[in-house]
Amino acid sequence: MKISTRGRYGLRLLVDIAEHGESGPIALSVVAKRQNLSEKYLQQVALLLTRGGFLSSVKGSGGGYLLKQQSEEIKIYDVLDLLEGSITFEEEVEGESAIEQVIRLHFYRPLDEQVARAFEGLTLADVTQAAWFTYVI
Amino acid sequence: MKLSTKGRYSLQTLVFLATCTENCSIRKISEATGISSGYLEQLMIPLRHAGLVEADRGVLGGYRLAREGITCHDVLAASEGDFNPAPCKECAKTGKCKTHQIWSLMQNTVVDFSKEVTIEELADKLVDSGTGGGV
Repeated sequence: MKISTRGRYGLRLLVDIAEHGESGPIALSVVAKRQNLSEKYLQQVALLLTRGGFLSSVKGSGGGYLLKQQSEEIKIYDVLDLLEGSITFEEEVEGESAIEQVIRLHFYRPLDEQVARAFEGLTLADVTQAAWFTYVI
Repeated sequence: MKLSTKGRYSLQTLVFLATCTENCSIRKISEATGISSGYLEQLMIPLRHAGLVEADRGVLGGYRLAREGITCHDVLAASEGDFNPAPCKECAKTGKCKTHQIWSLMQNTVVDFSKEVTIEELADKLVDSGTGGGV
């Protein structure tokens, strides 16, 4: 199990925009340079985040991306769920065996619930404000 | 985010083995889980190395659990090689990167929980469900 590159880049993009986007849209070329990430790849991730309702794009010169909502309203869990396709381990397979069913109901499902609980209430604002670090660790 | 096929199949294999009262042949495990014999042989290599299963050769040969109290984490750590959901291990920015904290939270949550669930617990549920296992 691994968090995908899309998940990692997407989150860094959002954090960067949350930290620097107060005075207007941020161009991806700027983020790419600041975060040392490929601009091409950021374009794909930005598109996904825009479709998912986390970013809005501003066209034209001086254009770029802005947060669509306040960072206090953007839930990290929802962002990860979008970026990773789905953040849950549980998946129902057609014609699953008794063994698969037991593992799904008694391991994957409670594991998903545990992850959801851990991330409950955690917003982008918590991540950009370093205060969060101290009470998680 | 999903476990690899290797990880999921290894869990299934060990849960089945935990329901067996004697050595279990690859063929029998394959029939119960639907995993091909060839793939099961491959899965067994890291599981044996990690001391989770043992095997005997010969007519009464086959596989069995090597010990009690094996957790889902033991299995996933063995089968996935490096069960490290968070990608930050070798990143030079650790400590400066804010997203690192999110991945740590994810990692700790998944690792801690998978250490709490034992293969025997899951095997008991399987036996309770009446659908068998190798008993």
